[in-house]
Amino acid sequence: MSRRPGLSPTLGFALLAVAGVGVPVLTRDSYYLDVATTLLMNLVLTLSLRFEMSTGQLNMAHISFMGVGAYASALLVTRGGWSFWASLVVAPLVAALVAVPVGRIALRVSGPYYFLITFAFLEVLRLFFNNFFVDYLGGPSGLVEIPRPHPLPLSGGAIGFAGKLPQYWLMYALFLVAAAVLIRLEYSRFGLVASAIRQRDLLAETLGVDIIRYKLGVFTLGSFFAGLAGVFFAHSHQVLHSSDFGLEPMVLLVVFTVIGGAQSVWGPVVGTLVLAVTSELLRELHHYEILVYGAVLMVVMLVCPEGLVSLPGRIAHALTRRREAKAGAVGAHVAP
Amino acid sequence: MALGLTLIFSILDIINFAHGEFYMLGGYVTYYAFAVFGVNYFLTLIFSILDIINFAHGEFYMLGGYVTYYAFAVFGVNYFLTLGLAVLVVGGAGVLAERVVFRHLRGKTLNAFIVSLGLLWVLQASAQLSFGVLDKSVPSAVSGIVRVFGLVISRERLVVIVTACALIAALYLFLKFARTGQAMRAVAQDPDAAALQGVNIEAVSALGFGVGCALAGAAGALLAPVFAVSPTMGALPVVKAFIIIIVGGMGSLPGAVLGGLLLGAVEGIGTLFMTSAAVNMLGFLVVIAILLVRPRGLLGVA
Repeated sequence: MSRRPGLSPTLGFALLAVAGVGVPVLTRDSYYLDVATTLLMNLVLTLSLRFEMSTGQLNMAHISFMGVGAYASALLVTRGGWSFWASLVVAPLVAALVAVPVGRIALRVSGPYYFLITFAFLEVLRLFFNNFFVDYLGGPSGLVEIPRPHPLPLSGGAIGFAGKLPQYWLMYALFLVAAAVLIRLEYSRFGLVASAIRQRDLLAETLGVDIIRYKLGVFTLGSFFAGLAGVFFAHSHQVLHSSDFGLEPMVLLVVFTVIGGAQSVWGPVVGTLVLAVTSELLRELHHYEILVYGAVLMVVMLVCPEGLVSLPGRIAHALTRRREAKAGAVGAHVAP
Repeated sequence: MALGLTLIFSILDIINFAHGEFYMLGGYVTYYAFAVFGVNYFLTLIFSILDIINFAHGEFYMLGGYVTYYAFAVFGVNYFLTLGLAVLVVGGAGVLAERVVFRHLRGKTLNAFIVSLGLLWVLQASAQLSFGVLDKSVPSAVSGIVRVFGLVISRERLVVIVTACALIAALYLFLKFARTGQAMRAVAQDPDAAALQGVNIEAVSALGFGVGCALAGAAGALLAPVFAVSPTMGALPVVKAFIIIIVGGMGSLPGAVLGGLLLGAVEGIGTLFMTSAAVNMLGFLVVIAILLVRPRGLLGVA
């Protein structure tokens, strides 16, 4: 396959992996570890959201599948007496399983209808978490007392996950798995087909791509990773509330993804990092956080709709054009 | 459309008759206002900028509520003058939003949708910062009750119904017969062809967006005395408006009215048997069911 311009996938992945190791080396402060852990969790969510957007569809119910994974895992561990490690595999599968019928329904429509119907699903699931099976799901007051990840038994003893640092490493491991899969897929035939569907789905269909099956596969895999993030969320926060999976956190994910640039696999990484750093710098202005996010989202979408990752390319392009214009002017001067 | 209306009315009559209770009408009537809301929503959606879904529409409704609070409750301006003022102010804000923001996103549905999410946050946060987070109550403009065919309705709600119906009718006539309204429909059908025929697309889309927002402002002013005014008051109606529009069919004015009535009926009947949370969910389930059978909505065109 021909090389595509931009960051090489292996190099980019290696950079991310090294940066992830760097955090605990630089700081052991539990606040910053917490911030970094949340950042990695958001990266799993935004990478998988962008993965779904690569077929040109914005899934407004993405965060609901994080909710499904979170609630499923909490129930499996507290009610079913499962080990965290078993539920870490099974709960995301539950999210993926729920995603199949939801995707089947939602993918019948496209464009604006798609994000409206997925938004309807978001609300249905949120109301479900909030009002149904209150004994099991906790209802409006939330589901509490979810245990921390159980110690991982190994041949030489067990690794505990009570502290911030082991939890960071756990999230780091999950992030590496998700990033490896999603970045690899982006640079494979799979990613090319997704891009073809986004650009012109009818044409892709005439070339023999089964669009619905393809989109459903993307939807299911994206939901699996959202569920994975949800499992971690449930056991690290230890409290689940239906509003964690409502419109506002969902829009936040969209903000992260789109500001970085939904066209590139690195977009969500850039967007999530930039906004996490900004929000730390602006911690004093906490009241204005939503206002700033909203304004930044609007400005980026208007000025630079391909997101921040497209900036270097655009600047380089503008510079070459200026140089060419200059050279052209000089040439005109020299010519007889 | 007439058939749909008759159907809904007859269903409601049966339920009312069976229970011998008329309290439902109260809840039901508010959906007339939601119907207006749905109508203007659709207008913004289709006419103004072609395929723009403005998720921040509820915030224009909120703006109408605040105009009413300040003009009517604080400064004591006449209620009907206030209504006009809300229409003007919010319509102006809509034109501004179109010129500054949405004009550049014409035809890019996804980008426009994302930008409207940003606008939603900006407007909501600005309202919280400038008006405070607490609910503000607006006194009733009219009091007393009326009996219509044996039904007891408060006069306040009657004003809401009558004004809402008048606005829907006016909008319908405007789009059908006025030159500008026809220009709007032409732009919606095919912007290039409309431009070739001498329609000023820029002006028409700004006006369309403005009219849509003005109607949201009117809805806010109408409902301010019924509910309290707060920075987040736009969230629920915008969700309802979405349901109405999807159910009725994007791009169809009668569809928006039908969707509003249908949602009102479903929720009205639902409250008799279910908890309010289940009723809220029911609305969304209706959306999903209808999209399965008719992906373009009940009266939508492909």
